[in-house]
Amino acid sequence: MTLRSLNLPGVGTKYEFETDKGDTVAIFFTKTGIIQMYTLQKGCKTPSAAEMSPVEARRLGNILTGAIIEADQESVEIAFSALADLRITIHTFFVTPAVVGKTIEELQIRAKTGTTVIAVCRHDRNIINPPPTFAFEKGDAALVIGESDQIKTFEREIMVN
Amino acid sequence: MEGFIIALFVCMVLALISKYLSIPAIPFYILAGVILGKAGLGVVHSDEISRFFSEMGLLFLLFFMGLELKLERIIANPSKVLKGGFIGLTIDMGIGFIAAYLLGFSLMESFIVGAAFYITSTAIVITSLIENRKLMFKETETIIWVTIFEDIVLIVILALLSASDQNLLFFFAKIALALVFMYGISYYGKEFLVSILDRDDELPILFTFAAVLTTASFALFLGIPETLMVIALGAALATTDPDAFEQHARPFKDVFLVLFFVFFGITIDFSGGINWFIIAVICSLAIVSKLISGMIIGLTIHGSALSGLEIWSNTISRGEFSIALAVLYGSPVIATTIAALVIVTSIVGSFTAKYSTWLRRGIVSRSRKKALMHRPH
Repeated sequence: MTLRSLNLPGVGTKYEFETDKGDTVAIFFTKTGIIQMYTLQKGCKTPSAAEMSPVEARRLGNILTGAIIEADQESVEIAFSALADLRITIHTFFVTPAVVGKTIEELQIRAKTGTTVIAVCRHDRNIINPPPTFAFEKGDAALVIGESDQIKTFEREIMVN
Repeated sequence: MEGFIIALFVCMVLALISKYLSIPAIPFYILAGVILGKAGLGVVHSDEISRFFSEMGLLFLLFFMGLELKLERIIANPSKVLKGGFIGLTIDMGIGFIAAYLLGFSLMESFIVGAAFYITSTAIVITSLIENRKLMFKETETIIWVTIFEDIVLIVILALLSASDQNLLFFFAKIALALVFMYGISYYGKEFLVSILDRDDELPILFTFAAVLTTASFALFLGIPETLMVIALGAALATTDPDAFEQHARPFKDVFLVLFFVFFGITIDFSGGINWFIIAVICSLAIVSKLISGMIIGLTIHGSALSGLEIWSNTISRGEFSIALAVLYGSPVIATTIAALVIVTSIVGSFTAKYSTWLRRGIVSRSRKKALMHRPH
């Protein structure tokens, strides 16, 4: 696989690579902000294209990196190959009635699951690194970080319906 | 002033319609101007204010062109740019110039018509390449390089046309001095410029506006063409943070350029008589000559006539630069001819660009059928 990047004046940046099987994928980040992805099957003459907004492109990127995407809840797995293949998962959860009104300390999130709540989104505002005394409210979305097993434990033990 | 508002409102409606139909808006702006102005209903007249806005439109168009003009990229890929560029220049400009001369224009007028006939609209071409999802086509890169070559030719044409009535040595010395000054500021003041552009208050946008206007008025003061100097300013500032400058100059360009097109239409005057024969010949030749040059470029660079067809179908549209030449140097008759040229080619061009893949497919399947029929049994 060889990746080429090229700056096309007036258009934007082009990334193109050919897979080992001979198919070609090209991505264009245009100056207008939209992203176009073209795929050209080996032996074909005309590529097919998809046009995406930046949000859609990021979603596609998440899928391609192998993260699980659920309807409203997303998770991203980041692998640090330099650190003995450390894999860290970040997952968003919408709080369930079981945790509403309770603080992070009361729920014993770290002790029970090993995960950490790194941010909470409340009414379109983000609270980064909430303190242990932070209490969840209805409608909050929590961003949780940990290994994928720990995230599963969190989902089972804490975010119970 | 009421006329001005009417023009703005009409443009807004036209922009909406053209975006909805995904065809370029430029021909509609000009047509609207023709209908509202001197040649049509006479509701809107050009005055001091509209002339100022039109001039801003032209300056920001050229400033933008300068920002995109990355000379080091051309020097890095000379063969790519030059081959296609020279074919286009000799064929399109040649045909345009000879046709205009044979139709009775003077040498000087023929040169301007030829130049307007030659230069494709970068704005229309690039927007249609993106909208029709052709960015991956191998011809796309060739087309982009050809449009860049055309930008450079435009600079040379502007320099030639404005140098004709001056002492050449003195003229070029003044230009060189201004260039050294602008590149010097961009080089030594780079950190300061970037720190201004990074701010999120009104300073970056104010600075961009002031830089363009100051350069233009200094050029007037020095007696060198402001058009050239604004392009040079763009090219010099592109060595600092071109994306930031584009972002801050875009609102000015978008608004003023629309007014530039409308008021170009408004000032069009049929009093010199319209010669429909000349217009018809120039417009049809404009489409045919791009077919010839496109075919030759396709055959020499990609080794395929189908590539030539693709290049042709995407480069028919003339637009902003042709009009700029008409505004700067054209007589009423030339302006009318160029207006018609832009309207016809940009509308035809938008359709050929949209349906070129069908055209290609049609030709390929027919030739395949023929090949099958001729196959020996």
